[in-house]
Amino acid sequence: MTWIPISYNLRSLWVRRTATALTALGLGATVAVVAGVLSLEQGLEKFFTDGGREDVWVFLRPGASQETESFFQRERADILMKELPEIAEDANGRPLASGEISLAVRMKKFDGGETNVPIRGVQPATFEIYGDDLAVTEGRRFELGTDEVIVGRRLVDRIQNAQVGNVLLLNVTPFRVVGVLDHDGPYSSEIWGDVDRMGEALERPGFNRVIARPRPEADVEVVAARLKDDRQVPAKLLTELTFRSGQTRMLSTTLKVLGGFLGVVMGVAAIFTAANTMLTALAGRTREIGILLSIGYRPFPIFLSFLGEAVVLGLVGGVLGCLMALPLNGVETGTTNWDTFTEVAFAFRITPQVLVTAVGYALILGLLGGAIPAWRAARLEPTEALRRR
Amino acid sequence: MKIPFRVVFRNLVRHPVRSLFTAGSMTVAVFLMVFLRTVVASLDAGVDQSQSNRLIVQSAVSLFVNLPSTYGTKIESVPGVVETNKWVWFGAYYQDPSNFFAQFAVDEETLLDVYPEIEVVDGSHEEFLAQKTNCLVGKGLADQFGWKVGDTVPLISQVFPKTDGGAWEFTIAGLYEPSRATVDARTLFFHFDYLDETLEAGGAMGQRGTSTYTLYLEPGANPTQVMAEVDALYENGPQRVQTTTESEFNRQFVTMYGNVPMFVNSIGGGVLLAVLLACVNSMLMAARQQTRDVGVMKAMGFSDTVMAGTMLSQSLIICVLGGVVGIFLAVGLVQAMGPMMGSFLPGFGVHEGALGFGLVLSVGVGLLAGLLPALRSNRLRPVEALRSLE
Repeated sequence: MTWIPISYNLRSLWVRRTATALTALGLGATVAVVAGVLSLEQGLEKFFTDGGREDVWVFLRPGASQETESFFQRERADILMKELPEIAEDANGRPLASGEISLAVRMKKFDGGETNVPIRGVQPATFEIYGDDLAVTEGRRFELGTDEVIVGRRLVDRIQNAQVGNVLLLNVTPFRVVGVLDHDGPYSSEIWGDVDRMGEALERPGFNRVIARPRPEADVEVVAARLKDDRQVPAKLLTELTFRSGQTRMLSTTLKVLGGFLGVVMGVAAIFTAANTMLTALAGRTREIGILLSIGYRPFPIFLSFLGEAVVLGLVGGVLGCLMALPLNGVETGTTNWDTFTEVAFAFRITPQVLVTAVGYALILGLLGGAIPAWRAARLEPTEALRRR
Repeated sequence: MKIPFRVVFRNLVRHPVRSLFTAGSMTVAVFLMVFLRTVVASLDAGVDQSQSNRLIVQSAVSLFVNLPSTYGTKIESVPGVVETNKWVWFGAYYQDPSNFFAQFAVDEETLLDVYPEIEVVDGSHEEFLAQKTNCLVGKGLADQFGWKVGDTVPLISQVFPKTDGGAWEFTIAGLYEPSRATVDARTLFFHFDYLDETLEAGGAMGQRGTSTYTLYLEPGANPTQVMAEVDALYENGPQRVQTTTESEFNRQFVTMYGNVPMFVNSIGGGVLLAVLLACVNSMLMAARQQTRDVGVMKAMGFSDTVMAGTMLSQSLIICVLGGVVGIFLAVGLVQAMGPMMGSFLPGFGVHEGALGFGLVLSVGVGLLAGLLPALRSNRLRPVEALRSLE
């Protein structure tokens, strides 16, 4: 069988460039919207998993998946931290484990309105566990036993009184801001202080979670299975990375569903458009097809040829769509994470995965839009086709 | 000016597939826009319908901190306050964590006085009061899970887990329907004492106290003054409170959506651009194919404006027809999804504003898409048009 060269289709697209451009732009707008939603979901996921570590363990109350749902009494937590043999030790032989409290606290934003900011009380071991992941970029760390806090970098420009030197009120206790905390992950949206002082100010006895650095040979699954039914301190154990990826399930799912919904619905419209363009192209080329058929081309290559033309149209649309969505990359936005009820600020991320999905989607749109016209083209009777103008 | 509508109609059915596809993409676009608009409009419904004779007292520190249940007596002594009602967020699920709906432990006796929009439609309020483990359930919720009065419902609370790891059990004593968007149609209300006594006896873990107090004001009371007086009561602790109007309280949940409205609007922009291009494209194709016809008709004496109007009418008819179908589809989907969306978006329902918006959109796109071809027809000289091959 002889195939029709693709240059024939490329030239045809060029001849009708207005229609081609309009169709490709329309496809592009569709692809751009879908890519935008996907990149938002990627940004959200990245926000939570960036800086998440396999070698940090998180202990929660059995059954809890959020810190706010989790609770340990101090004595129990102390037993856990001191007696779990899999927890690594620091240079002085103390376990590298830290009890933390965490609470979403109302704060006033600069642009008016309130938001829930995660407040975290930590023990000194937290800084050792994370090591270089945490940096104090301005001022200094809070001192143990004092009413001082450090504020996440992302909060400084958005929250009133969250600047070094200012005073933040927690319930009735004033805390002085002494430094700015930087972290690649969510900690840069939190406010940190001494766990004991914060526990007192917020009337939270006990801890919401315990984190620890495990010994290199320790197996998280084995320990998790053991702790689940532990008589003394039952706990749910997971690595920090797993814990983090569970923090955004609701919003992430919503975005994925939205992306899918938009993709299908807008895709239908785009397929109509592509089909329209190809039908018109076909109507204008009926005679050409008649000639092709009469000089011996089989219907199947003609079908493929038209389908290929639609796919090229889809490809151009996909690339245009990616170009349209590209400026979104890095744009910061904020919304409430429904799993933790706190505000998260994150950026759109046009990842290679988003681009590949978007172009693939555009190709499918072209393919589906081209199917009917291509089939029609292949079924033309040569004599009939030649007779048309 | 009299537009020959038979010609318009003939042209529309000359390429039925193209007309259908164009109308189809319009349908999809309008459907999407109306639906998204509805979601955004629903966000505000709870705020818009708020009552001015109710105030909400919450912790000034955090959404997750409970207020002591002893605050009620002192708050009731503030002049202007008739009644208080405790609400505790229970955070439980039925059978599977994905079955999300709201449950609150409330002061069962005063609930209906403070919230007269809760209308018991099956069972009765008396029955609800009779037993400590009884509950009142939204009709929408009962319909979804196939519950009826008399059923026992086991719930697993993540905020107040039972010490034995089991489920809390409630008996349905009545179904209600709210007459306003201020109360969700898919909530389960139960006795505050059941929760508090179980916590006290160590049967469950969690913070005691109440998430909020709703204050019911007497007619003529000055809300601003009451708010200030209640806040002043606990200015120095133990737990500072923040009193707001009901609309302000509901608004804080709306603002949590953050940029969602903007986000929805930008999606809308993309959809609009895509469909506009599609319609322009399709109308240009139609115009090109009608070049000779236009020439013939002009030669017969039809004026330039009439021919332009003929083109414009085609575009308008296709877009408005497609758009109207889209509006109907959106209304259908909103109604079908109503029960499901209720707990995320109380007040989710058909909004006239969104429908009007869809109609404006259809007409607008129809006019814009027809503009270019209409101008072309207008300018076309009969001699040239007749020479055209298409």
